[in-house]
Amino acid sequence: MTTTPAVLDPVAPGTLTPELEKLRLEVRAFAQDYVRPRVARNDHAEADDFDWELVRQGHDLGLLRLVVPKQYGGLGYGVLGVAVALEELAAVCAGTALIFGATLLGQAPVLLSGDPKLQQQYLPLFNAADPVLACNAVTEDLAGCDLLIPENAPYAADVLSARRVGDNYVLNGRKRFITNGKVAHFASVYGNVEGFPGATGLTCFMVSLDAEGVTRGAVADKMGYRACLGSELAFTDLVVSADQVVGGEGNGLIVNLQQMNMARATVAAISTGIARGAFDLAKGFAAERIQGGAPLHRHQFTARKLAEMTTKIDASRLMYLRAAHLADNEIPAPSYEPAAAKLFADRIAIEVAQEAMSIMGARGYLREHGIEKFVRESFGARIYEGTPEVLAIAITEALYAQEDDD
Amino acid sequence: MTYFTSKEQAVDVFKRLFTILLEDEEFTSRMRAADLTLRLIQTKPDLELYIDPEGIKVDADTGSAIINIKMSCDTAHALWSGKLLMPVALATGRVRVRGSVAKVLEFVPLLQPAFDRYPKIAEQAGVAAA
Repeated sequence: MTTTPAVLDPVAPGTLTPELEKLRLEVRAFAQDYVRPRVARNDHAEADDFDWELVRQGHDLGLLRLVVPKQYGGLGYGVLGVAVALEELAAVCAGTALIFGATLLGQAPVLLSGDPKLQQQYLPLFNAADPVLACNAVTEDLAGCDLLIPENAPYAADVLSARRVGDNYVLNGRKRFITNGKVAHFASVYGNVEGFPGATGLTCFMVSLDAEGVTRGAVADKMGYRACLGSELAFTDLVVSADQVVGGEGNGLIVNLQQMNMARATVAAISTGIARGAFDLAKGFAAERIQGGAPLHRHQFTARKLAEMTTKIDASRLMYLRAAHLADNEIPAPSYEPAAAKLFADRIAIEVAQEAMSIMGARGYLREHGIEKFVRESFGARIYEGTPEVLAIAITEALYAQEDDD
Repeated sequence: MTYFTSKEQAVDVFKRLFTILLEDEEFTSRMRAADLTLRLIQTKPDLELYIDPEGIKVDADTGSAIINIKMSCDTAHALWSGKLLMPVALATGRVRVRGSVAKVLEFVPLLQPAFDRYPKIAEQAGVAAA
């Protein structure tokens, strides 16, 4: 019988590098001391209200340049650093975490481009005195996973068009549900080059959102993640220079997939944070609430629930740490581990948040206790950066993939 | 298509390419500053180049480097000729890198002169254009 030697994961709780452990504690303190007092206000605010002061404080801490290489003024923590930070933020407010997470997505194509000119143009912006946000514009009214799954690309309908005119492209079309779209300085925008059916000519463009031809549309009125703004972006005869193309014309699907594999570990971290935030409330309640002469956690039914919840959170954290570690050490980033981490984390966030609400009984149903916000937000990550159905395709494709170096 | 007719031809081309890079003082000083070593594992024909600021070793038993890059010689030819874009090569897995991505991101811009010099080197060695 042949045995496969066990591979020990070098990244596990308690074994983060001293730098990452320091980052985790700094972000935890920021989340507890600065974000927490603003959570209710930002959650109950109008949909298009945006807390720039919160972003400014996060920027001062370095949250917008965690993944930016040091030579461009960044902190160079990689995807692992972003993931660790986002769990801490999401344990208090997932919407706040996503403001910073969406910026990573907008930065990713520039990082992946290997193009010193693009990197010099965009990356030092995140080290300026004032905060700069970025975003990633993929989703459209009629096209979501058609822009993610290569087999679907020929059938994509009504995709934002890019017409080549000399050394420029002219973009026309609309993007929807773009996190940070209302407030970002620039975006990676995916458009289909004219002449290619569906999205088979999909191309990634770096676009200034203050350029003539860009209109920032209405902010979506979401059930959760209200601290960050998701909006429409409209492009009307927007002229983009060909040197703002990432990865070459027609290679947008490839760039997008690579971006997703970088980002999914960080979304899994947000879901882990949501689960942790809900669990912490339930754990505290189960220690204080006396029934039958003993605190709730002494009762076997509740003890079993708490044990299952904390075990799921631990497992989820280990999976996202592994995925982020691999994303920092392999190019192309693996598709299996980030997708599996996100699939699991998104599911357990919903399960743990709902269980936490049930432990808290009537108090869990009241807004003032904060559990209902975690329940609302637990459903968000199931949708963005890959639904469970899209993740299942990525996971099974990885299972059957053959390594081929031509 | 197989561009290289022998292993000797492939070694000659890729060794010469990195010899030129190492002659650039900025390249070697940046390698030293970042404590970078590079291992190129190329297939069809199979060869390994280990590159550090002191020089190049061919098929030496050096073990892992800080950055390890695996690709076929034909992919390397297309890449250095500018016919295959690096992001596409990486994203499609035609080029596979193991090692700190942060170090890779720091290293890639240093390779720019190689793209300028490679076509001439390949042509002089009798390798058909990609």
